[in-house]
Amino acid sequence: MADAIPLIETQMLSKKFGDKTAVNNVTFEVHGGEVFGFLGPNGAGKSTTIKMIVGLLQPTSGMVRVAGYDVQAQPLQAKAASGYVPDEPNLYLKLSGRELLRFVGDLYELDRQQAARRIEELLRLFDLAAAGDDTIDSYSHGMRQKISVAAALMHDPKVLVLDEPTVGLDPKSARLIKDILRQMADRGAAVFLSTHILEIAERMCDRIGIINRGELVAVGTMDELRALGTGKGETSLEDIFLQLTGGAEYAEIAAVLA
Amino acid sequence: MNQPSAIQPGSSLARYVWKLLRLRWVIYFSGFLRAKPARKVGYVVIWLLLLGLFVGAFVLSWLLLRALQSPQVAVYVDLRSLRDGLPVLALGGAFVGILLTSFGVLLQALYLSGDIDFLLAAPVPIRAVFIAKLVQAILPNLGLISLLGLPLLFGLGAASGYNVLYYPLLVLILIALALAAAGLAALLVMGVVRLFPARRVAEVLGFFGGILSLICSQAGQWGRFVDISESQALQATQTLARFNTPWLPLAWPGRGLVALGTGQWGTGLLLTGLTLVLSGGAFALALTTAERLYYTGWARLQVGTQKKRPARVSRPAAAEHRSWPVILAERLLPAPVRGIVVKDLLVLRRDLRNLSQLISALILAFIYVLAIGRGTDVPGGQGEMPAIFMQSLHYLKTYSALMLWIFMSWSLISRLALMGFSQEGKQYWLLKSAPLSTGKLLLAKYLVAYLPTLGLSGLFLLVISVLHGNPGDMLLYGLPVIALSSAGTTGINLAFGVLGAKLDWDDPRRMVSGNSGCLGALASLVYLTFSLGLFFGPPLGLTLLKQSALLGQALGLILGGVLGVACALIPPWLVRQRVSHIGEA
Repeated sequence: MADAIPLIETQMLSKKFGDKTAVNNVTFEVHGGEVFGFLGPNGAGKSTTIKMIVGLLQPTSGMVRVAGYDVQAQPLQAKAASGYVPDEPNLYLKLSGRELLRFVGDLYELDRQQAARRIEELLRLFDLAAAGDDTIDSYSHGMRQKISVAAALMHDPKVLVLDEPTVGLDPKSARLIKDILRQMADRGAAVFLSTHILEIAERMCDRIGIINRGELVAVGTMDELRALGTGKGETSLEDIFLQLTGGAEYAEIAAVLA
Repeated sequence: MNQPSAIQPGSSLARYVWKLLRLRWVIYFSGFLRAKPARKVGYVVIWLLLLGLFVGAFVLSWLLLRALQSPQVAVYVDLRSLRDGLPVLALGGAFVGILLTSFGVLLQALYLSGDIDFLLAAPVPIRAVFIAKLVQAILPNLGLISLLGLPLLFGLGAASGYNVLYYPLLVLILIALALAAAGLAALLVMGVVRLFPARRVAEVLGFFGGILSLICSQAGQWGRFVDISESQALQATQTLARFNTPWLPLAWPGRGLVALGTGQWGTGLLLTGLTLVLSGGAFALALTTAERLYYTGWARLQVGTQKKRPARVSRPAAAEHRSWPVILAERLLPAPVRGIVVKDLLVLRRDLRNLSQLISALILAFIYVLAIGRGTDVPGGQGEMPAIFMQSLHYLKTYSALMLWIFMSWSLISRLALMGFSQEGKQYWLLKSAPLSTGKLLLAKYLVAYLPTLGLSGLFLLVISVLHGNPGDMLLYGLPVIALSSAGTTGINLAFGVLGAKLDWDDPRRMVSGNSGCLGALASLVYLTFSLGLFFGPPLGLTLLKQSALLGQALGLILGGVLGVACALIPPWLVRQRVSHIGEA
């Protein structure tokens, strides 16, 4: 059940890179207990928005609050409450999986013994216990993605932000991640994830936001999004997404090329 | 359904090689066209300078060799054998040089460049990819060797009056030798990659390459070339002449060219022909072998050949034995700072590419420790100098050893502090998204640079004080001096490291932008000069003024210490706002 106080809140959030506006006046809220899907075409501004939420980028204007803390004014409190999984698992390749998690435990100032227990739990959960002492450069892409998710879960965050979390994962691992995200939401955390796999968004997310060319064009539950349709019978998220982001006309071009 | 395109793989090898090479040229040329005007001018100036160097070297060689052939010189020394051996030496050296230096660049070009997946997945003959990569890899080395060798050999031809056939054949043979050497090096690369992972081979090669180049540079400085006697010079020329033997295949291209130049057509055509046939054979062998070896090697690389190690059994945290420095660090340092220090030192130790850069400071230290150890403590003479001068000289010698080490530690700190942030690379998101204050992050990066230097300095001082037999001067005064001066050096370099932080590197040698790297090194050197003046000026001055050296040392520690602490704190404080913007494009 969603809480009344939002754990992620953006107000008129904008980011410009020189003359180019990547994100323009984006406003939304994600409450505890919710899984929020963030969709958009390539280059729409998803990753930029996510990076502003987790404090990797400073907004040009607007405000982001995470767990009630302003990310710009109280970055340490906001970051302590959140976990982040980037789209590419860039990790320290010369550290072992276990050493990486220990390092993350230190960064989040976890008690040493509590961190050690948590590391073993997470390694077992993600089926990485046997590879825990191997350096990450010997890991496959999927293993790197899993250790990246494990690192984000080390401090049991209230807010979990994931950028394309299931890319490169086998079906078993993808299912595990989905189950974990659902469990976290059920325990009261806010889960914010971007994905291109609309089926995941449709089945997993309580609410969905669609961003196009830097602007949030729709936010709501699946039923609310369906109500936004043009009345031409769009029922699937794919139809709604294409209609809102201007991709529907490509179906005709594809038919000509086929 | 559309008709498939009319691509015929393997229909024309030369056509595909040409396409691939033209692509590289287009990339290079469009890079030039899109560059800023200042960079364009820079490129043009560099090319003009290289052309000038080529012409200048040619003219100089011509005049010098003509002068050496004059009858006046011939009265004293017979340099004919050296002159005839010069092409043999230059071409043989070019072959060996390209063979040795091509291994690393071919490893990078054939297996580790980013476009290999794309090229091998495209309907392009693998031989064409191999040849294009080979040519791209050897062009810089061939260019360098041509820049140095061709003017010399052209000058020799002009000075000796060789016929016109000598010049084009010289270029042709140089290219043939380069292709043969690169082909053989490629075979070696393909063989090694079948046994070891390419990336690991590159790391090991970088490590040993760095050490070797340092040892060579130091050996050059320590060599006593000025003491070479006339008989040694004569012996050297005789050794070179012995290399010019008809039974050595490496001598054939040079001997053949000289024979052609002097009109001995039979010998000349035979030897140059043999050279071209052998070079072509070596290249053809590499080419045909590459068809199979290169593809299978690349395919193995994709699936990974790393052996699975048996899983280690981790001990529970409570049972872990922790040494006293770890316990001390846990009490003194916040967990995030400790975590970053441990992480950075682990990564530095495990990545051979980083270690090769760090080890240079250690090798230099070792060499100079040996040099200091071999020196005599008492200055030469018969004791007629006043005691005050003898005492000053004694202190000067002690302080010189300390200064030497301070400059050694400067090179270590420059690497560690200047690249402290850049070293994070694409992994910086982990630190930036963590609840880590700027102060803690700066402190962690500061300690990563400072602590290893301090530890090594202590060790150095211990060794030197034992060698000198005066532990008091060295340890009690030397350690605080090094600790305080290194503190300032670390602060300055760390600040420039923040300003020039670069996270999008693939090669650790390109971590820091040139401007901040140069400015950081310059600023810290200026600081060091002042700092050493403040530390050592007062004790030396007071000794010369017949005052207490101890008082001078205390004064030096206060003056130098204030500057050191100020430089340790102020530069990082000045750039603290910049830290939160690192990694934002």
